[in-house]
Formats: sequence, C-alpha cells, structure tokens
Amino acid sequence: MATAVGTLGHTREESTVWKWMTTVDHKKIGALYLITGFTFFLVGGIEATLVRTQLAVPNGTVLDAGLYNQLFTMHALTMIFLAIMPMGAAFFNYFIPLHIGARDVAFPRLNALSYWVLLSGGLILTSSFFFGEAPNAGWFAYAPLTEKEFAPDKGLDFYTVGLFIAGLASLMSSLNFAVTIINMRAPGMTMMRLPVYMWMTLVVAFLLILSLPVITVALVQLYFDRNFGTNFFTPGAGGDPILWQHLFWVFGHPEVYVLILPSMGIVSEVLPVMSRKPLFGYTAIVMAGASIGVLGFGVWSHHMFTTGLGTVPQYVFSASTMAIGVPTGIKVFNWLGTMYGGNIKMTVATYYSIAFVALFTIGGISGVMHASPSVDGQHQDSYFVVAHIHYVLFGGAIMGIFSGLYYWFPKMTGRLLDETLGKIGFWFIFIGMNLTFFPMHFLGLAGMPRRIYTYDAGLGWETWNFVATIGVYIIVVGVALFLVNVFKTFRKPPDAGDDPWGGATLEWATTSPPPEHNFDVVPVVRDRDPVWYNRDHGIVTPEKPAHLHIHMPPPSYFPLVLGIGILLIGVGALSSLAITALGVVVVYYALWGWALEPTE
Amino acid sequence: MAMEHEMHHGDEHPSSTIRQYVMTGILLTAITAVELFLSYSSLPHGLMITLLIGLSAVKFAIVVAIFMHLKFENRLLTRLFLFGLVLATCIMIALLSLFWNDTTDAVGGIPEGQQTAPKH
Amino acid sequence: MAAAHAEPQHNTTTGIDNRKMLMWVFLASECLFFGSLISTYLIFKGDSITGPLPHDVLDIPLTSTSTFVLLMSSLTMVLAVFGAQHNRLGLMKGMLLATIVLGLAFLGFQVFEFRTFGHEGLNLTTNQFGATFFVLTGLHGTHVGVGVLYLASLLVASGRRNGLGKEVALHVDIAGLYWHFVDIVWIVIFTLIYLIP
Repeated sequence: MATAVGTLGHTREESTVWKWMTTVDHKKIGALYLITGFTFFLVGGIEATLVRTQLAVPNGTVLDAGLYNQLFTMHALTMIFLAIMPMGAAFFNYFIPLHIGARDVAFPRLNALSYWVLLSGGLILTSSFFFGEAPNAGWFAYAPLTEKEFAPDKGLDFYTVGLFIAGLASLMSSLNFAVTIINMRAPGMTMMRLPVYMWMTLVVAFLLILSLPVITVALVQLYFDRNFGTNFFTPGAGGDPILWQHLFWVFGHPEVYVLILPSMGIVSEVLPVMSRKPLFGYTAIVMAGASIGVLGFGVWSHHMFTTGLGTVPQYVFSASTMAIGVPTGIKVFNWLGTMYGGNIKMTVATYYSIAFVALFTIGGISGVMHASPSVDGQHQDSYFVVAHIHYVLFGGAIMGIFSGLYYWFPKMTGRLLDETLGKIGFWFIFIGMNLTFFPMHFLGLAGMPRRIYTYDAGLGWETWNFVATIGVYIIVVGVALFLVNVFKTFRKPPDAGDDPWGGATLEWATTSPPPEHNFDVVPVVRDRDPVWYNRDHGIVTPEKPAHLHIHMPPPSYFPLVLGIGILLIGVGALSSLAITALGVVVVYYALWGWALEPTE
Repeated sequence: MAMEHEMHHGDEHPSSTIRQYVMTGILLTAITAVELFLSYSSLPHGLMITLLIGLSAVKFAIVVAIFMHLKFENRLLTRLFLFGLVLATCIMIALLSLFWNDTTDAVGGIPEGQQTAPKH
Repeated sequence: MAAAHAEPQHNTTTGIDNRKMLMWVFLASECLFFGSLISTYLIFKGDSITGPLPHDVLDIPLTSTSTFVLLMSSLTMVLAVFGAQHNRLGLMKGMLLATIVLGLAFLGFQVFEFRTFGHEGLNLTTNQFGATFFVLTGLHGTHVGVGVLYLASLLVASGRRNGLGKEVALHVDIAGLYWHFVDIVWIVIFTLIYLIP
C-alpha cells in the first residue's frame, strides 16, 4: 500500500456518500452534526412522549416499570449528550470559521474524527435498547444503583462505554474549537471584537476540556466496579457512593453551562441583528460568560445538599450558587437593553430568542431557589426539579437552538424557511412547552417525586399530569410543523440572498451557502460588527480575484477509519477483548496513515 | 527554539545547551535523593509532608519551565496550562477537605446494627 | 531552527503553532484527569478493611530506581528535542532511542511491581488501596506506553525519506511535551503515594 492512500485526487469523480464520509470541510461536518443531533432530538422526543403518555392518568399501563426507567434515563442521555450538545457543536462547526474570518478550523481532520466518534458513542448508547436493556439508573446514574448487584444487565455498561466515547468526541472537538478561536482569527479580529457567540463557544470549549476528564475517571471507575470487581462506589467493602456524586457533578454542573451557553450566544447574535442596533453591553456579557465559566466549577455540590455535606460546605456551595446567578442576570439585562428602543423585526428567530429570554429567566429563578439548602431539601427529587431543568434546557437551550436554526438556515442552504409556518410552529412549541412544564412546579410542590412510573388517584396530581401530557402532544405538533417547513423549503429554489437579515457578523459577508473556502478574500476586521461598520463607512468588499490560490485540505478517510477503530474498542469493551484488540490495531494503523498523509 | 515568531522578535532567549540540560537533570536527581532521605527520616509528620510536597512541586516546576520550555514560550501557553493545573489543584483540595472532614463516614462504613441517626 | 516557519500554519493569530497549543491545552485537561484519580486514591487512603496495606507492599528503593529511570528519560527527551532543533539528527535519533528504552524500562519495573503485589495478595478487588492504586498507576503506565509508541513512531518516521520533513523539530518538541508531562505526573504520584507514609 502506498502511503498516500488517504488522500483522494481532486479530479476523480467521487460518489456523494463517499464525499460526505471523507469530508474535512467544517460546513459539511457541521451539517452532519446538525442532522445527527436533530435525529437524536426526535428519538429523545419519542422517549419523552412515551414517558408522558404513561403518566397521563393515574395507574397508567402503557409502560411497565422497567421500560419506564430505561426510557426516562435514555430521554435525558439522548437529549443532553446526543441532541443538544451535537446541535450546539453543529453551529460551532459551521460558524466558528465564518465568524472569525478563517477558511476552516485549525484541525480539519480532527474535526471529522470528532463527528465519527460522537456518532459511535451515540450508536453504542442507543443500541442498548436492542441488547437486553438500556441504562436505567437516571442520567446521573447514582451509585450504588448502578452496581452489578442492583443492575446486573448490560445497560449500565452501555452507559459507561457510550458516554466515555461521546466524551472523547467532545474533548477532541473542544480542543479544536479552542485553538481555532484563539489562533485562527482574521486580521483585526481581536479577542474583544469576537462575536459574543464565539466567546460563548470558547467558554464552552474550556468547560468541556476541563470537566470531561473528571467524568471520564468516574466512568472508568464505574466500569471497573461492574466488570473487574473493584469497590469504588460500593459501601459494603469500603467504597463510597457519594464519591460518584462528587465526580459526576464536578463534570455535571459545568456540563449544564455547556448546554445553555451556546444558546445564550445565539440569542446574543440574533437579538442585535433583529433589533437593528449593536448588542447592549458587549464587555459585560463577555465577562459574564467568562465568569460563569469559572464559577461553574465551584458550585457542583448544590446538587448534593441532601447527602449530608456538613454545615460549612453547604454555606460555601449555597453562596457560590447564588453568586453565579449574578452574571446570568447581567446577561438577561443585556438582551433586554439590546431590544429596548430597537426597531425590532419580528421574525421567527426573534420569537424564539424572546421566548428564550423569558423562559430561561423562569428557569434561572427556580434555580436560585435551589441554592438555598433548606429550600432544596424540600424540592429534592420532586417534579419541581424536573420543571426547573426543563425550563432551562427546553425553554433555554432548545429555544436558542430553534432561534439559530431559523436565523442561520438561509446561510446554510441559501433558502429562507417559511415565516408563517414558522410562527405557527413557534406558538405550538411555546404553548406546549409551558403547558408541559409549568404544571410540574405545582406537582413538585404537591409532593410528586420524579422518576415514579405510576401514581395512585386521589393524591391531587391527576389534573396537572394530564395537562402536562397534553402539552407534550402540542410540542410534537410544533416540531412536526418545523420538519414540514424544512422539507417545503428544500423544494423551492434558493431565495435568501447573501444577507437576508442585515446581519452584523462576517458570515453575512460571504455567499449563501458559503463556498468551500468561505471567503474569496480574507476579511479585515475593523469593528465588533464588521459588516455594519463596512456598510456605514462605505468600505466595499474587495473584488474576487481572477485566480484564487487557495489550498483547502484534501478529503481524507483516515478520520472515518480511526472512528471505526474507536467504535471497535467500545464494542470490544462491551463484548470481548479480541474486538478491542482489533480496534487498537485499526486505531494505530489509522494514526500512521493520518500522520503521513500529505495535507498540502 | 523552532517556534520563535514575529511577536517575540528581539526577545532572544538564551538557547539552552546540552550542559544546562544535564545540570538540570542532575539537580532533579538530587532533589529526588533528598526526598528519599526525608521519607526515611524521623521528622515530625506534618513537617515531612510539607517538605515532600514542596520539593515535588519544585521538581514539577523545573521540568515544566526548562524541559518543556514553558519559561521561554509565549505567555499564553503558560496561562492555558496553569488554568488546568490550578483548577485541578483547587478541585482536589475541595474534594479532599469535603471527604476528610466528613465525620458521618467512619472507616469502612458503620457496621450493621450499630447505625445511629445522622447527627445534625 | 526556522524549520517551522516554512509551513502553512506559521501565520496564526498568536504566532504559536496550532499543534503546540493543542498539546498544551490537552495537557491542561490531563491535569484534571490525574487530579481526579489522585483525589480518589487519597480519599480512600486508610479506608481499606483488609490488607495488604501500602506499607506492607510498597517497595520504596525499587520505585525510587524506576523514578530515577523516568527522570533520566526526561533528560534524554529534552536532548532529543535539542538535537532536532539544532539539526543534529544523529543526536536526536540516539536520544529518542534512549528515551524509548528508558520508558520501556520504567514499564518493566511497573510490571514487576504489579506482579509482586499480586503474589503478596494485593489485586484490584482486595481492598480500596488495591483498587485505587492499580487504577491510578495503571492509567499512568498506559500513558507511558502510549508515549513509548508515540516516540517509536517518530523514530521510525524520522528514518524514512520525507518522514518528518521540515517540521521534525516541531514534532519532536510536541512529543516531548507529552513525555515530560507523563514524567511530572509520576513525580506527584511518587511523592503522594510512595514517599508520604
């Protein structure tokens, strides 16, 4: 075999599938992430719908207890690790180079690898349904429920291996994004001229880089407990289940900000453009984002107030949790200040952004309530907590992602989504979301514990449970309308033009969809809102040169091969050592090919 | 250094020589020998632990600064690495103080039949 | 000296090569990885119900020798980087080889140590000391093993025509960062586990 096998000639005609499998173009990879993330969003939605259907009436009989446990666990894992994070990564991929004026990310092949590894992790996690039993101990998988004694099936092994691999993917993409943003900026793009979205991306990347190793250690320990007989988390033999909670939440709390910060970034892009005025308080919002990133590492034990932390730790973590509410609050005022006095274009993206601000604020306020240990003791493990996290993750993260989808769809495809259909869909999702999750506050305060698969009549929970289930079906209609909108839009010719919204950031300075090399001439940045600055100062984009001497990295199949190797290692960890060994060989082979592959 | 760049022009760091590297290696070995000696000595426990941790921190710093060239690199790399290092140290200290001050968790757990209600 | 200047990535915003920055950020991440493992070890220190306990099995003179071996491998590694940067390829290759041999020697010590502990009745399932010790030092050993493979691949590639090309200094430098990091983690582990009684 020649050494240059991974490099494909530009001249040979390749099939479309092969092109996508070997692509290293950040825009194509972004699209892959988006499709994958949205597909898992639908899977997670189906799981949620089943869960809510079971709970619609007292003593529901749709699911049995075992399947119910698997479904609520997989709903959370799917939504968090396979839907929201990949959709966030999709926009990161697509827009980091466009926002900072680069031709691609710093490591195009690593970028492709991240995607394939993420897909491997997602497939392993989801395939658990077909191999006996899915993980069933909740997404934070508290020990000792997860130990062999109480979970003899393979489900929790799929959890450890699947999350390990998905985490590896996130780590690689985060390293890539961090280096790209720091090191690949266009001339004039100083750190304090970066779009807020880029700042949030950078914070997210560092949160992941620094928190993923902790969960990795915890997952390895759990895997050893279950497969090699260690006793890290089994109390009888000297282990400590609380250690799992600590390690999990040292990762888990920064993870919560990983889920919400991208949406905060999206909203910070959409609102100024739609209000036709610059973001109010750029420095404040950037500093708030950075301090959320730092403080986010110092609040994890507020998930564990009821474990008997002791008085001093309760004070400390309660205080730090309340403190982290401050930068979050600052941002809300930034968004309101941005809209105030603006000539607001009420597009669907604006709708979703405003909904984000409103709903996220509700979720944020119920979050501050939990910062008080005594209040938290009442809310712990009740539906109030479920209401809180869904206001933050659905009302926050998902609303932001939908805003981004409507805002950036014309850039990614050259076609504008239908605004009327979009607004109808918005109202379905908005009303459905509030119908589903607001009553959960009441249910929680009325004493309904989370994660019960059925409940008796006469406890005062019937009405609100039924309302919540109705709400889910309304959301389903809203999401279906979005899909209809997408399919409808793809059937019409491109109509968006390069800059349908009058955008401020660099992605609107190139064509829709952008060419493979993003910019014919690398832009020079003179202001935080470069496109507006150039428009107001009459600076025209330089003519497209007759000959573009731009070297884009050639496609490569080594990321895919390496991804398959890692998938094999994961499958081997769940079945036999032989497959793991094969995986290691494949990984090593792919690394050799990767290293020696010419990238010129 | 291969990666000197435009922003650092004029900032010609003294290129380390083989001799300097070997001296650094000898110094590291010497510190290790001192550590070894300390661990066998009959110093008070607290003092010994402080000294041992202090000396290994010195070794750590020497390797990072000289062998890993961090002393001569763009400051940004130092900041990036220190961020992880400091965070890891803080989380370690926090976790250890949480667990070591935890009086509800006796060694090996409380045996069956002797459990008492948690104290407040 | 100026090898990396000719490469397409020389015009980064900060002037630092992307790959080098990636390695440093990755090492920052690794701090948290080993920090969590070491925390686990220390949290469970003294929680073992049955023996053997650390002072029963830990062989400090032996491990001091292997620590010395790993320290010397850091010295040879930095000399390999020096050779690569000053275009002394013979020095570079010799020192890479020496580093690989020292790394393998360290792994040999570790295998011997694990086997001895096994004979003395300590394994993963014996007690908390066994579990935390083997997982921590085992994962460190895995890092050393990966490092040996990494350096061996570099050595083989440097022997090929066009193997490492003009960027040989950069590649050896980055591999060196990884290697030194694994070494400093051992400095911490050696002090916290072996030396502190």
